[in-house]
Amino acid sequence: MTGPPAGPSAPSAGSGRPGRVVIGTLGLDQHEVGAMAISRILIRHGYEVIYLGRFNTPERLTGAAEQEDADLVGVSIHSWEYTAYADELLARCQELGIGLVFGGSVLTERDQAELLGRGADAVFGPYASEATMLRQIDAVVRRVRGGDQLAGQVVIVTGAAHGLGRAYALELCRQGAAVVADDIDEAALKEVTDAAADLPGSVHAVVCDVTGSDAPRTMLDAALRRYGQLHGLVSNAGLLRSGPILRLDDSDLHLLLEVHVTAPFRLLRAIGGYWRAESKAGRAVEASVVLTTSAAGLYGFRAEAAYSAAKAAVAMLARVGADELGRYGATVNAVAPVARTRLTEWLGEAPPNPGDDPLAADHVAPAIAWLLGPAARNITGRVLEVGNSCLPRRRTYCCLRCSPARHRR
Amino acid sequence: MTGNEAASSAAGIPLRPFYAPGAGGRDYAEIGDPGAYPYTRGRIGPPAARTRRRRGWIHRELSGEGSPRRSNEQLRALLARGALGIDVIGDNPTMSALDPDHPMCTPAVGTTGVSLCRKQDFIELVAGIPLDEITLSHSLPPAFALAGQYLASPCHGIDPRVLRGSAIQPPLYSEDCSYSTFLPFGTRMRLTLDSIVFALREMPRFHAFLEDTYYISDGGLDVVEEMSLGLLEIREVCRRLLARGLPVDSFAPRIAILVNCRMDLFEEIAKIRATRRMFARMMREEFGATDPRSWSVNIAVHTSGLTLTAAQPANNIVRGAVQALAMAMAGVQGLEISAFDEPFRTPSAIAHQVAIRTQQVIQTETNVTAVEDPLGGSWYLESLTDELEGRIDAAVRQIEALGDVGTLVETGYFRNIFLHGMDRHSRAVQSGELRMVGVNEHVIAPEDDWFLRDIAEQRFEPDYAHVESIRAWRPTRDDVALRAGLEHVREASADPEADLMGPIVAALDADATIGEITGCLREGLGLPGDPFEFAARRQAPGIRT
Repeated sequence: MTGPPAGPSAPSAGSGRPGRVVIGTLGLDQHEVGAMAISRILIRHGYEVIYLGRFNTPERLTGAAEQEDADLVGVSIHSWEYTAYADELLARCQELGIGLVFGGSVLTERDQAELLGRGADAVFGPYASEATMLRQIDAVVRRVRGGDQLAGQVVIVTGAAHGLGRAYALELCRQGAAVVADDIDEAALKEVTDAAADLPGSVHAVVCDVTGSDAPRTMLDAALRRYGQLHGLVSNAGLLRSGPILRLDDSDLHLLLEVHVTAPFRLLRAIGGYWRAESKAGRAVEASVVLTTSAAGLYGFRAEAAYSAAKAAVAMLARVGADELGRYGATVNAVAPVARTRLTEWLGEAPPNPGDDPLAADHVAPAIAWLLGPAARNITGRVLEVGNSCLPRRRTYCCLRCSPARHRR
Repeated sequence: MTGNEAASSAAGIPLRPFYAPGAGGRDYAEIGDPGAYPYTRGRIGPPAARTRRRRGWIHRELSGEGSPRRSNEQLRALLARGALGIDVIGDNPTMSALDPDHPMCTPAVGTTGVSLCRKQDFIELVAGIPLDEITLSHSLPPAFALAGQYLASPCHGIDPRVLRGSAIQPPLYSEDCSYSTFLPFGTRMRLTLDSIVFALREMPRFHAFLEDTYYISDGGLDVVEEMSLGLLEIREVCRRLLARGLPVDSFAPRIAILVNCRMDLFEEIAKIRATRRMFARMMREEFGATDPRSWSVNIAVHTSGLTLTAAQPANNIVRGAVQALAMAMAGVQGLEISAFDEPFRTPSAIAHQVAIRTQQVIQTETNVTAVEDPLGGSWYLESLTDELEGRIDAAVRQIEALGDVGTLVETGYFRNIFLHGMDRHSRAVQSGELRMVGVNEHVIAPEDDWFLRDIAEQRFEPDYAHVESIRAWRPTRDDVALRAGLEHVREASADPEADLMGPIVAALDADATIGEITGCLREGLGLPGDPFEFAARRQAPGIRT
């Protein structure tokens, strides 16, 4: 037999899919319509599907799942035969620590409740909507992966080619997220994508200038096309134009305001609009935004008046954004990072061994990941200073990424 | 749909806002009178048979559940309610040519059809059924169904030569459309050809070659795909029968077609008319048939289960009724309505009754059968008939141009068509492009959706008692006759020139089971007898996508 033909929008193979799923029917139930349909939906949304077709036993399904290191087994049901196999299948999946999802038009509400009661992770009856199935399967994958705090999360990071943005993108990937990485430096962005190749998550590069009025739409569309959904935004792109008030000209002033205020404002507007629509359509939104302010914006730096004012504006954007978008399920926070980057050359040379550098961008990234993760759902409207001595050391965060569940296999 | 969008049929044929003279069917000779070549307007029987009483179609409903005895009661109940024919389907093990006591089968025995694995089962299934008066159509593995019925009817005093009915011959598509028997294409085709030849000789009134386009299309194919694949299979089997030296007029009158009927009613009616015309032309012009009975194909219909919804099951009664009305006006010879509980189960007794009564109301109260082809001459319908004929014909030619059909089967060409159809359908429902009342429009809350659900959701257990009775029966058989019968099947399978049907009938008569016989067919080819080893070998170990 052949597998389902690849859809026109099916992304190419690679690591860092939102999840890996084994799908088949049980016993002599030969009707594959449902198995096919859910496979194609998952493939379109970036999942990896191992399609086992017909004539499966619990042993065959879970054997394939174990061998392929799958996150869950999905069974399509068109015959009551499944009742004879359900208990064994549930037990085997629990033993392997993987998810189990049933779907089928013959599943009545009573059947659905019963399967859930016996330990199935999700059960879909006739005409479950694509969005509902995806959301629940996402949640199962997240639960199964456990240690990968951000598994199944799709996050846009702007300015992701260098410095802090690069560190954020890779850290989010390390924690399982799918990152839509934006920058104007295509070559450097390519290096980030390559660096993420072996990480649990994935990077999808989008070359785009954040100051363009259509930039938010471009990034949002890229996220939805590639991953079908979006859970987070890290607005990090920035630049510096220095000079005392008396000498900074209009073009520098406008550029600073465009990059640091207008661009994140537009991103909030576009992406907030998407979350509002999701929320109004009855889908649960758990979204997070991290904006980038600066110590300059909190305390003011001499000869950086425009930059400081713009960064102060970002802090306020976070506070009002938190208030306005909270009702749609989004948190909005701002961080003031301190790290050795292209904007902070005055910090001087890094020590030869990057691990010894208290100012390395890598130390900021786990805090950003934390703000995007499930543990920070109640943190919103805050401005956090992270960096140098006031940021927790990297090993402090090891427990987040290295929880026992991560090593379940 | 807004007024600005161009309308189209379900199969994507662009439609005009209205049709006027000259749109289609300009040449009446291309249409012909009902009962006259090319049979666009209907295949009506010889005038002597056209008494008032016999007008209309054979009312029947898909049946079969549990053991053969339980199914027999179901058949009698249907006939008692006025069914004029029987269509019996096997449970999943039977459809897979496996025995109920195989470990993979026991959980599925009897829940989706009747369990049949031995001669005794066929005898019990048809006990007391007037097989000399009604038609018995099989939705079963055809060689076994024909052998079983051939052996069973004399036990009830009925000569097989008077049997009427039909057997689905699915050599091309069964593996890919939910009815795998775990046999390679070559053997499936041999079984088809040998069983047709057998029935022509022994059951000459039987339609031993029923082309079933229902089961291949109800995953989501459109009418053009449905009929082009159906005609392709007919053509392939006909060519092979001709190659065996059979005259076309010896078998063409024994071909019938069982089609699907979805919700685009004019398209479905046009499909029936186009199919009759194409079949007539194909038989006369391509295969050189000279007997008019070879030209006029018998068409029965099973209304689409895919158009029925689990939501608000009462709506399915309406769907079945409008589909049946359309098919009555299309002039089909037999009709089965997918019952209102179809999305949940094989039909319950009350769903059977509603479906039969629906047919009876249409037949007796609406007067639609008073005139043959009542819609003929509709500018729209004639145009649609012409358009479908062109599209179906083009699709057949396109596939035949790809080369050997058997190679296309084995390389998954057709499977991809079916998978694509399923995906297209599910996307159209999800997106709302295919509008379905109660699903993507006019939805009600689950707690308000209670009407008829108690019936639709009723279940019954697998027939474990029947499994036990088969287990207990096995050791009681005459071992010598059994072994000899199975050995003949194995030998015949190994010899590509040998007839399979004689040894199968003999083995079934010697109390071999369908599972054992099919196992020997595989062993004769050097394959493992247990199909799951064979299936595992055939199936790639999982497709990464």
